[in-house]
Amino acid sequence: MDFELILLFLQQGIASGLVVGSVYALLALAIVIIFKTSEVPNFAQGEMLMAAGYVALYLLVFRMVPAWAAIPMTVVVAFAAAALFRRVVLTQVARASGSPVNLVIATLGLSYVLKGLVRQTGFGDTPRSFPSLVSTESVMIGQASVTKLDLTILGTAVVVMAAFFWMFGYTKLGRAMRAVGMNPKAAQLVGVDLNRIHVIVWGLSGAISAVAALLIAPKLLMTADMGSVVTLGFAAAIIGGFASLPGAIVGGFIIGIVENLVGLFVSSRAIVVAPFLAIMLVLILRPQGLFGGRVMIKKV
Amino acid sequence: MPEPLLQVDNVTVRFGGLVAVNDFSLSVERGTIHALIGPNGAGKSTTFNCISRFYQPSSGRVRFDGEDITRLPASAMAARGIARSFQNLELFNELTVLENILIGAHVHCGGTLRDWLQAKPPAVMRHIDGVLERTGLASYRDQKARNLDFGHQKLLELARALAIRPRLLLLDEPAAGLRNREIAALDELLTRLVRHDGLTVLIVEHVMQLVMSISDRVTVLNFGTKIAEGTPQEVRDHPAVIEAYLGKEAAAQDPHHA
Amino acid sequence: MRILGLLAALAALIALPFFTTGYIIYVANLLLTFTVLCLGMHIVIGEAGQFSLAQAAFYGIGIYTSGLAGNAFGWPFPLSILAAGLVAGLVGLGIGMIALRMRDIYLALATFAFGEAMQWVFLNWTSVTGGPNGLRIAPAGLFGFEIVTDKQAYPVVLALTVLMIGLTVVISRSRLGRAFRAVRESEIAALAMGVPVRTTKLAAFALSAFFAGVAGAMFAIFSTFIHPDSLGFQTTILVLTMAVVGGLGSIAGAVGGAVVFGLISELLRQAPSYQEIIYGLILIVFMMFAPRGLFAFAGENLRRLTRA
Repeated sequence: MDFELILLFLQQGIASGLVVGSVYALLALAIVIIFKTSEVPNFAQGEMLMAAGYVALYLLVFRMVPAWAAIPMTVVVAFAAAALFRRVVLTQVARASGSPVNLVIATLGLSYVLKGLVRQTGFGDTPRSFPSLVSTESVMIGQASVTKLDLTILGTAVVVMAAFFWMFGYTKLGRAMRAVGMNPKAAQLVGVDLNRIHVIVWGLSGAISAVAALLIAPKLLMTADMGSVVTLGFAAAIIGGFASLPGAIVGGFIIGIVENLVGLFVSSRAIVVAPFLAIMLVLILRPQGLFGGRVMIKKV
Repeated sequence: MPEPLLQVDNVTVRFGGLVAVNDFSLSVERGTIHALIGPNGAGKSTTFNCISRFYQPSSGRVRFDGEDITRLPASAMAARGIARSFQNLELFNELTVLENILIGAHVHCGGTLRDWLQAKPPAVMRHIDGVLERTGLASYRDQKARNLDFGHQKLLELARALAIRPRLLLLDEPAAGLRNREIAALDELLTRLVRHDGLTVLIVEHVMQLVMSISDRVTVLNFGTKIAEGTPQEVRDHPAVIEAYLGKEAAAQDPHHA
Repeated sequence: MRILGLLAALAALIALPFFTTGYIIYVANLLLTFTVLCLGMHIVIGEAGQFSLAQAAFYGIGIYTSGLAGNAFGWPFPLSILAAGLVAGLVGLGIGMIALRMRDIYLALATFAFGEAMQWVFLNWTSVTGGPNGLRIAPAGLFGFEIVTDKQAYPVVLALTVLMIGLTVVISRSRLGRAFRAVRESEIAALAMGVPVRTTKLAAFALSAFFAGVAGAMFAIFSTFIHPDSLGFQTTILVLTMAVVGGLGSIAGAVGGAVVFGLISELLRQAPSYQEIIYGLILIVFMMFAPRGLFAFAGENLRRLTRA
């Protein structure tokens, strides 16, 4: 392979990778905020994204709701549904048994229910395409070709991330979330309502997943199985260090770029298995990820 | 005179930049009860965990009955006759009292295939029945550990350690949270184990009444460093100890101190 | 009293092929296979507390190993079954190594990733597994006698299931079973008691993979075709649901869950989207209200009976 081609592939891989990586970053963020506050990896994250995508599809295409209304509606519905799940189901599961394993199994249950529901409504039967709300005219950045849609995706994702981090770092709610993430008992002692925070965190996670869905849907074919993109979200979170928010973002971009580079340099078949290998390798070699800090010694 | 059963030489433990235990040495003579005390954060538990091999000392040496055990894994302790209890209770919660103690006797259950298949070798069971009697847990035999009240849970932790048939018993705050009646019973049990059965005990404890009552020797730690050592009376009157617990003014005002 | 009940059930199971149709025997074969899969999960998650989500991968390894042993080498089926269990068990041992360094949630993710990677291997290693075209499995043979129908396969499948249940009971009541439970409840205390925690974890993984491998061999005996689509996370979740419904912590739970849920899943096979919704709801409802499963109660009583 000559140098020219390598350079081209690199540029294209990085450019496209940053775009799709920004969406993975959002997904990883959604996963990590739940994990940080409740030690539960949400196996339904992908299905939450998928379901939100279908809600948006329904509103935009079947109900002809204009985009400026459909988008916030989707995000609100996602927030509410996720919060409701936490409030009704998980609170009860936590009460029935202290083990986080049971919470994980409950999220697995949710993922199946969501998938089945979407298939039931008939929408999920055939692959559908999501309308692009921004032009797909291409733009050249160096030697890489991206579309205006791509740039919008990247821009929006970055704005959402920034908004989230602002909320997390500078508001009372964000402070409470951080406290719960660090030490739930202590947070409770200073007056934080644990359940309320968990419900809000789940709602936020749902909302962020909805945004990610809206951003990625125009680039994918929509099927009921599209939730499988969550594996990339998990891989991103693990690479970044599962309990680290900035790690999730960085991990997302890394995964996006690596995915594109693997596709360009190796083969498209390899893309499917790469995230699984990445997950296993990171967990075996450096389980705390990039930003996880030292592995904690359990206090005996 | 035979060498001490447990010999800790110049152990230092560092966590990153923090020195938790600084050049600490300790000897525990056979058939005695030795207490390790000090204010919170003094490094007692860290030292304790080094001795029982859950932490790795950054430097120094730990010897048991002449053998250097500094680099051995924690799971090698039971076979050598070193048993420990845990500050925060590490019971097998979903298992019964009997099962908890049976696991304590794991190293005595033998290693042949036949031994692995046989759930309850008679010799082991006899010893366990004895332990159950001694600790007063016989009537709770088939109860799940998590269903016991706190006092009995602490007893179970001790019983499980005894099932190892230890020569050295390491106890991490066994009296914490116990009522006076239970502390008295613990006092009696430990005294009997040492005086009658020749056990050696190293105990980390905050409950001073117990420390003063049963200890043959007391070592005091503060900020990771040994500040006093001697009989319970000597240590109680030691100015550095009073200062560590109560502050400088209290030490200056102490009527015992000439 | 309960022993009599078990013997009666066994007698009924043995008599089954004489008064029912081939389809019912096929379902019985399937449920027996699920039972062995569930027992494997009971050992690794229920007994040893290692949250492994890779059962389908070992199941697949078992199917392909015994299928190929029969297809390519013409091995008699007892040998194929043993080979399937051993190969799967060895791979399980390897995967168990990663469990040594990881706690529950991370272990779940790593084993999930392994399971998916394995399915990709099944789909792409076309020369061995037939890839996306699937693999035709030749009838299992023993010195010239060939197993062609479900009714012919049934005695072998039933015998294997009884054997594996017996093995699970023996292990559970043994020193190894106690070691599993100790590691599950508190690794730290187990270490202090001299339990070799690392070896115990490896044993749990190897055993549960062995069970899954044998289950795969059982499938290969009564089936003629396998496709990698049936060997992914969906199948692992199915087995997990069975184990959860029945009760992860007891043998009776594993058996009961496999039978009950296996029946439900077979009935729902015609309507895949309903299937998904119902699986999901069952998982959710059980986690909310019956986290110990249906048969946990029965299991406790059984254990008290068998514990002299």
